Amino acid sequence: MVGFFGFLRQTLVELWQAVLPPRYFSWQTVIYMSLFSWLMSLLARLVEATAFTVGLLATISWICLALGVGWALEANRVRLFGIPVAPWVSGAILCIFLFGSWGGRWLQPALVSWPLVSFAVIAVPSLVSWDFDLKKPPPMVRQQLALLFCLSLLFSSWFQFYFRIQTWVREYPSLVADSVDHSAFVYRFPGQEVALPAGVTHLTIAEEMLREQIDNKPWPSVERWLLNLDGQRQALQRRVQSQMGRDADLEDSLWRLDFQPLANGDGYTLKLWAIWSGPAANPSGYYLEKTCLLMPVNRSSPVDAETAAPGYTTTQWASLTCDLQTPRQAGHPRGTQQQSSS
Amino acid sequence: MRVHRETPIQGSRFSTHPPRPMPINDLLSELGILPLRAIAVQSMLLMVAIVLEAMVLRQQLRLGYRTSMQYAATLNLLATSLGWVAFLAIEAVLPLALRSQIISYVLFNRFYVNTWYDALPVVVVVVAIAAFFITYWIKLQGLLWLLQLLGQKPVDDTPEAIEGDRRQRYERARRVQLEGRQGNSPRALAMLQANAASFTAVLLLLLLINQSGVLGW
Repeated sequence: MVGFFGFLRQTLVELWQAVLPPRYFSWQTVIYMSLFSWLMSLLARLVEATAFTVGLLATISWICLALGVGWALEANRVRLFGIPVAPWVSGAILCIFLFGSWGGRWLQPALVSWPLVSFAVIAVPSLVSWDFDLKKPPPMVRQQLALLFCLSLLFSSWFQFYFRIQTWVREYPSLVADSVDHSAFVYRFPGQEVALPAGVTHLTIAEEMLREQIDNKPWPSVERWLLNLDGQRQALQRRVQSQMGRDADLEDSLWRLDFQPLANGDGYTLKLWAIWSGPAANPSGYYLEKTCLLMPVNRSSPVDAETAAPGYTTTQWASLTCDLQTPRQAGHPRGTQQQSSS
Repeated sequence: MRVHRETPIQGSRFSTHPPRPMPINDLLSELGILPLRAIAVQSMLLMVAIVLEAMVLRQQLRLGYRTSMQYAATLNLLATSLGWVAFLAIEAVLPLALRSQIISYVLFNRFYVNTWYDALPVVVVVVAIAAFFITYWIKLQGLLWLLQLLGQKPVDDTPEAIEGDRRQRYERARRVQLEGRQGNSPRALAMLQANAASFTAVLLLLLLINQSGVLGW
């Protein structure tokens, strides 16, 4: 029994010594101040103190956390490839604190300013003395600081470039459906699921319109409909534009819709094309093709046969069948490269 | 009468990789397209440019190894990052047709046919020449600013400069006198040579990289 208590006591003492900072002026103290400040801010929130109090306590907590973690890493001389990581971690904590409360797209400003904030973390101790006076570091340090500033500006620009690419992809979503293997700038890790180009949606809308207009209609009227090909193409184009108008992207003007009926036995094969005239990996561009089969079918119901006049008993009706696939083809469906006006 | 063929939706040949359950893959697809090649190529080109410019600066301005490397590194990093800032700012306000040409070049390494297509070679050459002179100006200004920052405006009194025999010191004094008369022209000339050397090397390397097969893409 005595041995057990002795062991417990020993453990407690060791634990206490591990937790207790070796000196008051040490990184453990700062971390504890951060914890204490955070707990106080929770407490303040519980007792419904003013937002200013809660915010102030939370701010102190964050700054102490950044200082403490940076100090701890520096004190233990944590190095990554010979580069001290302390300022970068402190800068990251400060950035999360500064921009994390923004909500929404906070990651972009946080990442872009991270290198610059880290530079500030490095620069401030050598530029400002303990009594908040500006001091002039020796030329060697000044040279290093100048170099470091340019380097952090470059890192910041790289992050900014990444976010600019994401903006492009948001504005032109079909770009991600293409291969970026030949790019000298960007890389996409293989094995990812890649979105479909918007042309697939356009083709679906076009198919719906075709169904409304010519599916299940008398064959002669369908033949008449097909006579006005240019008019129908324009109508199709307008229809797709109005349907996509709700969530229009910049790239919608780069898609063109076209179709061509080809004689196939008694009926037609309709080729629907969504033609991409924007940037593409293939030098001649690409288009998506949907193949529909438009066939006359005999549907002579007994009722019709009795009531209808003789000669019309075997009325032919149109039947439209479309493939679900929209295979992607290189080049232009009409062979000649038509210059788009955009 | 809607008769669809009973096939799974397969819009294009890029569409359906079965999603793997690996979280790392989720993260990568969340990140999307990364400018990793740009970063790799730029780091390499920067190293080449810094070494070349340091050699030129060391010869022309008789600086020490370490000093010339530091100067060249600082100036090149400054010019590069200011170049990025300028590119990102200008890209945002360009007309859409020209912007999409930039997008095409970045993502697919080629321009595509639109209204700007015929004018592009001229635009590229003009931009390249302008980039050369703007970079030169930035580097020269940066050098003067850096010397001022390091407190070396009137005379070169780096430790390396003070070392050396009397003859060198005599030459140095003469050169400083000369500088006093002619302003910053030795520096301007040295910087011009350094910039020309690094631009030539970078251009050659870029042409080499763009020849398909090099570096595997």
